[in-house]
Amino acid sequence: MKTLNLRKLVSSLTLVALATGSVLIGSACTTKRADSGNTLNLVSTAKIKGIDPAHADDLYSGLEVGRVFEGLLQYSYLKRPYVLEPLLAESMPEMGADGKTYTIHLKKGVLFQDDKAFKATQGKGREMTAEDVVFTFKRLADPKLSSAGWWLIDGKIVGINEWHDAATKAGKADYAAAVEGLKVIDPHTVQIKLNQHSFQFLYTLAMPQAGIVPHEAVELYGDEFLNHPVGTGPFKLEDFNPASKISYVRNPTYRKEVFPSEGEAGDKEAGLLADAGKPLPFADRVVVQIITETQPQWLNFLQGKLDVSPIPKDNFAQAIVGQELSPELKAKNMKLHKMAQIEVTHTTFNMADPIVGKNRLLRQAISTAFDQTAYNETFYNGRAIEAQGPIPPGLAGYDPSFKNPYRQFNLAKAKELMSKAGYPEGKGLPVLEYLTLADSTSRQGTEFFERALAPLGIKLKVSTFSWPEFNAALKNKKGQMWSFAWGADYPDAENFLQLFYSKNMSPGPNDSNYSNPEFDRMYEKSLTMKDSPERTALYQSMVKVLVEDCPWIFDAHRLAFTLTQPWIKNYKPHDLDHGRSKYLRIDGSLKK
Amino acid sequence: MFVHIVRKLIGVIPIIFGVALVIFILLNVVGGDPTYQMVGKHATVHQIEELRHEYGFDLPKPVQFVQYLKQIVTFDYGRSYATKQRISDMIVGGIGPTLTLAIPAFILTTFIALCIGLLVAYYRGKWIDKVTVVFCVFGMSLSSLAYILFGQYFFAYKLGWFPISGYESGMLERFQYVAMPILIWVIVSLGYDVRFFRTAILEETNQDYVRTARAKGLTEPRVFFKHVLKNSMVPIVTNIVIEIPLLILGSFLLESFFGIPGLGSITMDAIHNSDFPVIKAMTTLQSLLFIFGNLATDVIYTLVDPRVKLS
Amino acid sequence: MSTASATTADLKPMPQGRSLMSDALARLKKDRLAILCTAIIVIYALIALAAQFGLIATPWDVVVGKAYQPPSFDSLPLCLGTDIFGRSVFYKVIHGTRIAMSVGLVASLISIPIGVFLGAIAGYFGGWIDELVVWFYTTLSSIPNIMLLVAITFALGKGLTAIYFALGSTAWIGLARVIRGEFIKHKNRDYVIAADSLGATHASRIFKHILPNVSHFVIINLSLQFVSAIKSEVILSFLGLGVQGQPSWGVMIDDAKLELSRGVWWQLAGATIGMFFVVLAFNILGDSLRDALDPKIK
Repeated sequence: MKTLNLRKLVSSLTLVALATGSVLIGSACTTKRADSGNTLNLVSTAKIKGIDPAHADDLYSGLEVGRVFEGLLQYSYLKRPYVLEPLLAESMPEMGADGKTYTIHLKKGVLFQDDKAFKATQGKGREMTAEDVVFTFKRLADPKLSSAGWWLIDGKIVGINEWHDAATKAGKADYAAAVEGLKVIDPHTVQIKLNQHSFQFLYTLAMPQAGIVPHEAVELYGDEFLNHPVGTGPFKLEDFNPASKISYVRNPTYRKEVFPSEGEAGDKEAGLLADAGKPLPFADRVVVQIITETQPQWLNFLQGKLDVSPIPKDNFAQAIVGQELSPELKAKNMKLHKMAQIEVTHTTFNMADPIVGKNRLLRQAISTAFDQTAYNETFYNGRAIEAQGPIPPGLAGYDPSFKNPYRQFNLAKAKELMSKAGYPEGKGLPVLEYLTLADSTSRQGTEFFERALAPLGIKLKVSTFSWPEFNAALKNKKGQMWSFAWGADYPDAENFLQLFYSKNMSPGPNDSNYSNPEFDRMYEKSLTMKDSPERTALYQSMVKVLVEDCPWIFDAHRLAFTLTQPWIKNYKPHDLDHGRSKYLRIDGSLKK
Repeated sequence: MFVHIVRKLIGVIPIIFGVALVIFILLNVVGGDPTYQMVGKHATVHQIEELRHEYGFDLPKPVQFVQYLKQIVTFDYGRSYATKQRISDMIVGGIGPTLTLAIPAFILTTFIALCIGLLVAYYRGKWIDKVTVVFCVFGMSLSSLAYILFGQYFFAYKLGWFPISGYESGMLERFQYVAMPILIWVIVSLGYDVRFFRTAILEETNQDYVRTARAKGLTEPRVFFKHVLKNSMVPIVTNIVIEIPLLILGSFLLESFFGIPGLGSITMDAIHNSDFPVIKAMTTLQSLLFIFGNLATDVIYTLVDPRVKLS
Repeated sequence: MSTASATTADLKPMPQGRSLMSDALARLKKDRLAILCTAIIVIYALIALAAQFGLIATPWDVVVGKAYQPPSFDSLPLCLGTDIFGRSVFYKVIHGTRIAMSVGLVASLISIPIGVFLGAIAGYFGGWIDELVVWFYTTLSSIPNIMLLVAITFALGKGLTAIYFALGSTAWIGLARVIRGEFIKHKNRDYVIAADSLGATHASRIFKHILPNVSHFVIINLSLQFVSAIKSEVILSFLGLGVQGQPSWGVMIDDAKLELSRGVWWQLAGATIGMFFVVLAFNILGDSLRDALDPKIK
């Protein structure tokens, strides 16, 4: 019977499929660990690039790296403005008389996490030494790795480029070869020599990319090190599914680190010093769910499955009434935390373009016609400060009283500027090209921009790109205008002002291709100055130059609103957030 | 028989070559240059050149194509730009979750659709047939996104019947997470299947031998179950078997929205991140599965169905 | 699930006799549901044309109220509420109709000639031409359709033109397959052989003699293609690869994904309803057409 055969065929095929399925399922199966209750449940709203300091150049990867790895320095948890303090270093690095040499003393008795990579000690983690610091920096320069941390030291440490080029030529890096600027003085002292005087270099030591890695693990795991991280940090990786979930357990061999006993004014009143002097970390486990869609992320938080959550833009109305927590969430005892982010969003004019780049009045007109207040209402629910210049609040150089004359929305003035620019009511001006991305937020932002320019008679040709195409266009100086954001690498206005330094032009970070010898001179001078009122004054005069030249429309400094569950203690928002989960404590009595 | 299978296998080679060529042309030749996205915000011209060299983007296109063919054969697609993970590991890791969702959903859908299909085909032209068909078309005409957003908000959050999203790899835990996605899958795809099965059965109903059977005076149930059903199984089974290799594709939307780390959500992320190597690998893999699935169906048919002649 | 092409491929050749078209038309006239669906499609087409020529809902991108105003009966533009900029959702749905219909139409205009031509020459000539065409469409159909569309839009850039081309260049496969099968059957029929003996050229045999006898497959295919074109546009827009700067239904649904949790349901509802009826009508009409054109199924 033909049909009977066929029927058998179907059922046997189904069985085969099921069997294959269960074998695969079984092999991926791990036993679920008992939840001790002392678990931090966090969310990552983006996929991460593995847990390897060398690749941690984005916020989300940096956060995960910061749980396992530690750098020589860190930012103070409570003090504001953000200040550096020693982490793996015993004390703050000492600067030599030449202004280029840093001597760093390391803490003694810092152990790497236990891992089978430490064969000499049967899996027990050995002590971290100056050799590891040198190895870590060489690794960032290893061309095979194409590390996202290379720019931090490229051209900065004496001899590192020679080492890098030799490795490129040989096709393989020689870690035994010495780098002049990276010197082991003794097992607990390392000396770093720079090519140029730089105060900003210290910030590098606190970045996730500069987390100290042991060579044994890197050698054993090779390319897979990013799935087998071994650091000195408070948490050890337990299980890593790059697509859905990362879990960590407390590192049993973590040295004695304690909760800080000093903060800024108001911290004591807010109960942030209650745990002062207690050993870190508080949590036994950290579970990070990777959820990229906002609806499940938000609903999971409301159900108490997540401890900390940003407020998605479109759930804002539900969460916040006025500027405070909605009654619904207040009843659940949730806490709202607000923080000014060290960043600036902007609309860039391509200064290399023969039209917008050569007509300052035209740029000023467009800048004046762009209603930032309305924009912030529409896109950020008012959760943003209107930018007057590139330097965000919280950094020396930001002047809250300064008003950028071309950022006060004034259509009449904008029209006048258009006439002066030679294009009365847009007459004679060709259609301008605006580059944008294809996601819904960019699309809506583009529509807003088109509408803002229409009263001036300016027409836009919108070119929509995928992310790689967009980057390629920018780095090749194509297009006339586009929107972008710059988040700080470190809390110093220099990180924003370098965006206008002519030597940083595309493909570097100076995306407007701005070039002004006067500005360059001031910038170079500022690099040699320590944080001081004189340097702040210099920063402010640099901003004035930029405001007149108007290579950007300075858009906004966004505020981050974060919610925490009532049982989360010691939470204080921080814009450079990596390595801070060790401070969070879960009050089990408040958790059902 | 053996010769037949070998001949079929050889016949597959130009198709695979064609698929590889199309994918390569679209993603490597006319698609964008990924270097600029990878190099990061602090780039220098020198770094860009080095990166190009490191990843082999500076090689001539034919060389790159040969490399890609080698990737297909060795199942080593390199690493993702976005997650830095080895793509073959990502694929292997994604199969379990995808099948956990896809297999039960597929079996349920097929079973229910077959039952309904039989029912409406038997009562063809009657009100029950018409109502069911209209319902099916209604279900098909709605966007699946609407079902997902509503289901997640109402059943998972408001009523708390299911978890909102997430996945556990434990043998039993996983099923609570896939329960609602399975339900939505069934609802969304039921309409297509019912309609297809109904048509397949009806086509058989109008064959000459059925008329003969009726003329012989056989009762309608007897004609239907004994003759029509038996023969309409051929297109129905074909349709079911052909869909099996495609199950591994997973569902883009269901997996992404419910946080199931399967191949569908991997593909979706890759599209969002313009992660070309992953898009390329997933497209290639799915095409290969389709080709070999078809081949397997073909071979099995020649084994079981004497009507299919060996040519 | 691309079951549609499989079904049509299984169809048996037509018995000759009364003109197929007039027969089918008579049958369709009796089918009230089919007439209703045709009416719906005609209305959609008229709305699309009117919007194209600026007769209704123009301009769509003006502010008619506050941002995210819920639907109200105050005026026609407000009957489906407003979007993020305070523009009329109703007008956007109307213009979405224009885009959806144009996507369906242009994709069909591109794909039908390709499908008919390739299917016809493959079936008619056989040999290496046939092998080449079959290889070409087997290759393309082996790549999952959605991935192929994604790859083409990545290659061509974004926007309506890319969508037209992506859909047009993939949608011909099913048709080519059916037409090829029919040509193989027809080329040895008496009437073709008769034409040959009367000295008809290949071209005239293909286009004048055989094609009219298999053209009903084009009509069935057309309605199926509209549905898949409209749905593909929505999925591509949802993936961020779709229409730019114009209010397509896919873009509206993509926007609505985020807006829904703040309680803004009308944009999703508007686009879904707009899409629902036309897809429904094409689905039912497609069935009726097939029933009418294939006398075997009653």
